Amino acid sequence: MTDAALSVTQSTIEQFTEEYLHTLGCDINKQAGRWSVIVPEEAETDIATGKLTLVCSTDPDEVGDEEALHPESSFFHALLEEASERSPTGRVSITAADTEIILPSWLVQSEVSLKKTEFTPYYDRTALVALFRLGIETVSEYQTELLHAIAVDTRSDEILPELSDTLLSRTLIGQETVQCERTQVDPDSAKQLVKHVRETVVEDIQPRIDEVHEAASRSADAEIEEYRRLQQQRIEELEEARTSLVNRIDDLSVSIEESDGQEQRAEALKKRKELKSELEEVESELGSLRKRREQGFPEKQREIRERHALEVVATPVTLTEVQYEQGEVDFTLTNQTVTRTITVGYGSGVGVTETIECDRCGTALSEENPVSWVDGEVRCENCSSP
Amino acid sequence: MGDYDLVDVEVTHEDNDELFDSLSRSDSDEHLQTLQAVRLQAGQPDSELRSLKQLDEDSVKMLEHQVDAAYRALFEMDGKALLADEVGLGKTIEVGMILKEMHFRDTDDSVLILTPAQLAKQWQAELLEKFGLEFVCNYDDEFDGFGAHDYIIASIDTAKSERHRMTVLNRNWDVLVLDEAHYVKNEETDRYDLIDQISYDYAFFLTATPIQNELTDLYNIVSLLRPGLFGTRDVFYHYFVDSNQETLVNREELQERLNKVMIRNRRAETDIDFTDRTIDTRTFQPTPEERELYEAVSDYVKGAYSEDQGQKLVLMLLQKEVVSSPAALKQTIEKQLHEQSELTHTDELESILELIDRIDTVTKQERLLDIVEEARENVEMGRVIVFTQFRATQRELLDRLATEGYTVHSFHGGHSSEEKEQIVTNFEEEGGVLVSTDAMNEGRNLQFCNIMVNYDLPWNPMKVEQRIGRIHRIGQKREVYIFNMALEDTIEEYVLERLYHKIDLFQQTVGQLSSILTRLEDTGSSFEDEIFERLANADSEIDLENDFDAMAVDLEEQRELAEKLEEFNSGVFQGFDLGESDD
Repeated sequence: MTDAALSVTQSTIEQFTEEYLHTLGCDINKQAGRWSVIVPEEAETDIATGKLTLVCSTDPDEVGDEEALHPESSFFHALLEEASERSPTGRVSITAADTEIILPSWLVQSEVSLKKTEFTPYYDRTALVALFRLGIETVSEYQTELLHAIAVDTRSDEILPELSDTLLSRTLIGQETVQCERTQVDPDSAKQLVKHVRETVVEDIQPRIDEVHEAASRSADAEIEEYRRLQQQRIEELEEARTSLVNRIDDLSVSIEESDGQEQRAEALKKRKELKSELEEVESELGSLRKRREQGFPEKQREIRERHALEVVATPVTLTEVQYEQGEVDFTLTNQTVTRTITVGYGSGVGVTETIECDRCGTALSEENPVSWVDGEVRCENCSSP
Repeated sequence: MGDYDLVDVEVTHEDNDELFDSLSRSDSDEHLQTLQAVRLQAGQPDSELRSLKQLDEDSVKMLEHQVDAAYRALFEMDGKALLADEVGLGKTIEVGMILKEMHFRDTDDSVLILTPAQLAKQWQAELLEKFGLEFVCNYDDEFDGFGAHDYIIASIDTAKSERHRMTVLNRNWDVLVLDEAHYVKNEETDRYDLIDQISYDYAFFLTATPIQNELTDLYNIVSLLRPGLFGTRDVFYHYFVDSNQETLVNREELQERLNKVMIRNRRAETDIDFTDRTIDTRTFQPTPEERELYEAVSDYVKGAYSEDQGQKLVLMLLQKEVVSSPAALKQTIEKQLHEQSELTHTDELESILELIDRIDTVTKQERLLDIVEEARENVEMGRVIVFTQFRATQRELLDRLATEGYTVHSFHGGHSSEEKEQIVTNFEEEGGVLVSTDAMNEGRNLQFCNIMVNYDLPWNPMKVEQRIGRIHRIGQKREVYIFNMALEDTIEEYVLERLYHKIDLFQQTVGQLSSILTRLEDTGSSFEDEIFERLANADSEIDLENDFDAMAVDLEEQRELAEKLEEFNSGVFQGFDLGESDD
């Protein structure tokens, strides 16, 4: 699975805009950062009609009343929006002639010299490459938007990591265009395939999710801690208020006992009653706060943690059916005196499709255990170590 | 995981039915653009060096580490950076790219480049040839002071001089570039004071050896660029230096902070790979007539200089010409006789002219034929570049080589840019011998040739380095051969054998020399002047030899110091992954 996002630079967006406008049938005349564009009447687009001038600049004085064309311009965003919804599905072919042979890691990491590679295609296979938009959202972090590609063989359901890379590199902006055709896969099968891979897509961005998850959890903790501090402060305030009330009530009691005048006494009694009721309220709040403190403010914690919870949303946004060639590749290896050939299952754009084991020890060849020469024979590195 | 409770994670898979529905009605011509649009929507706006595509690839070959440094200095360091690549990795190119980009973005209304005096003209030529950036240099006739131009290259000492200092300080410069920034390591100098007070928006400081003596040098340089990054000097020293051991402590944090302002590429990490260079120095016995002429000119120069030191330049010229060619010498003497109304040495000059006329065989010319013939037989299209300092020598050589049947090309400062272009193309296509003066500048791409002859030797080693740099540059795939020609027991042999070979001039990495020379400049001496003074003031042959030996010792010391500094800086920064860690 591959990170599919492209960097948005001025030159990339200019190139993309030009290609898109040409697809719409527009005529473009460029002069020193100013594009005079004529949009034909029949063009199926909502971004512009008739004549239009685009100015490749972020300077408002330079742009004047025309449309600005830069990564942040509203015109470019509208164009991108339209282009992104225009044709989310399609079919392309990747043949061995279009791509270089993808060497397996057990060969790349090896010191064995590769003399020749030869691919023989036997039949065509298809895979579905889906671009997933993945949003990771929480209150405390900026929303993280990722775009990842995943390829799956339509028959075997096998995930083909190299194929998504190949498709992405074959469809870069400014490259010779690959031919797109109408898709052949039926919607139900496609749905099943997408269902099959979507967990994998999320698993693959797990490190990023973990990162946001930890940051969000730390933020939640910080918020809880702040709440705790506030409550502690409140407890202290209430304790102070309580002491003051008790003192005042005591004072009133003394003055009631010592009072001679009826009216004065009644007034003090009334006041004492009010203060006692106030004291009850304070003690009740204090009691409840202390209790909650002992329990660790569970409700508030739950509320804060819920608010900081992460929401990961995975949405498939494009589907590309890729026809590729399955066959065998011969890797001819040499050590100046001896030449040996390893034949292995291979798909165009997919790479080696089967595991190769060492003839001597039966261990699978891998990046960590690459191919090696032992007594003029091709073996694994483990076998070449003394 | 930290000591906190984790919040919940909820994963939702959206079905996006519309997407699946579109499969049945897909009109997929534009699918490719939709893929690209979706990918752009997910991408982050990214800065880029937009001026790069305007650069002529023939004039400047940009390397990945240089583009990366320019990018980081501009966009990640907000236009205030210390470019501290190891020697020879092209810091000037990095600054050229930065300035080009700023020019493209119209953020460079005024630029001041301060360099050591010896490098100012070289900077000017490089920026023009490689990046099309026109600067006026304080050594140009049209230089009218620091208030009169917007793009200036000047020696730092001129800028700090009484005459100019206030003008420099009264302006707000958009960009300040400071070459060999270790010049300002000491906060108690006028140089430091000048840079500290200059008002600027962006600044790029260059040095291969940010630390000259102690870590506080680095503190001083960095603090000029980013005041406050390291806090106070005392805090910096106590925090990063273990004063008992005189070693670095808290390296990681130092690296982290330096990463915000300093870029240091190491040679080992780049893909620069120079081919071998073979030096063949050939000295020849002059004919008795040539010897007599040499002695006469040397005596005259000595005598005249002791009488009137004001004539220094012309006397130095005569001394250089006598070993280049009788033709060059003749031209200057005739001019002298013709132009001067009150000549005091007419007789001597006239007798020198007579000696010139007596010379039938010019030894170096004859021996040059050996080299070009060897090349004709062994090298592709017999391509050889012969450098001389003088037009008269150039003309003689061209005549002689043409007479001998060689294809010849002439290159000098009098040609227009188009003509120069054409000459280089002709030389590449037709082969043969290109005889060039030192007007052959940086931008010329001559790596299709791998044989160079120093027919005569400039007394300024930077010029020798520049000559070598014309063919021994990135992109040269073959071994490079450099032939040096000199007559025995002449000033040229002294310079060659006693000085240039001592500092391994011909084997220096491009860029290494400037650190040696700027160290010399720091001590107040100019190389050419020193050579001449020693020659003119020596009482005897032995004196002269001793003088040159002494100069060689000085040079060797400077070279060793420069090398030690390089090593020291490598040592200090070793283990710092200064270029990569923020990736």
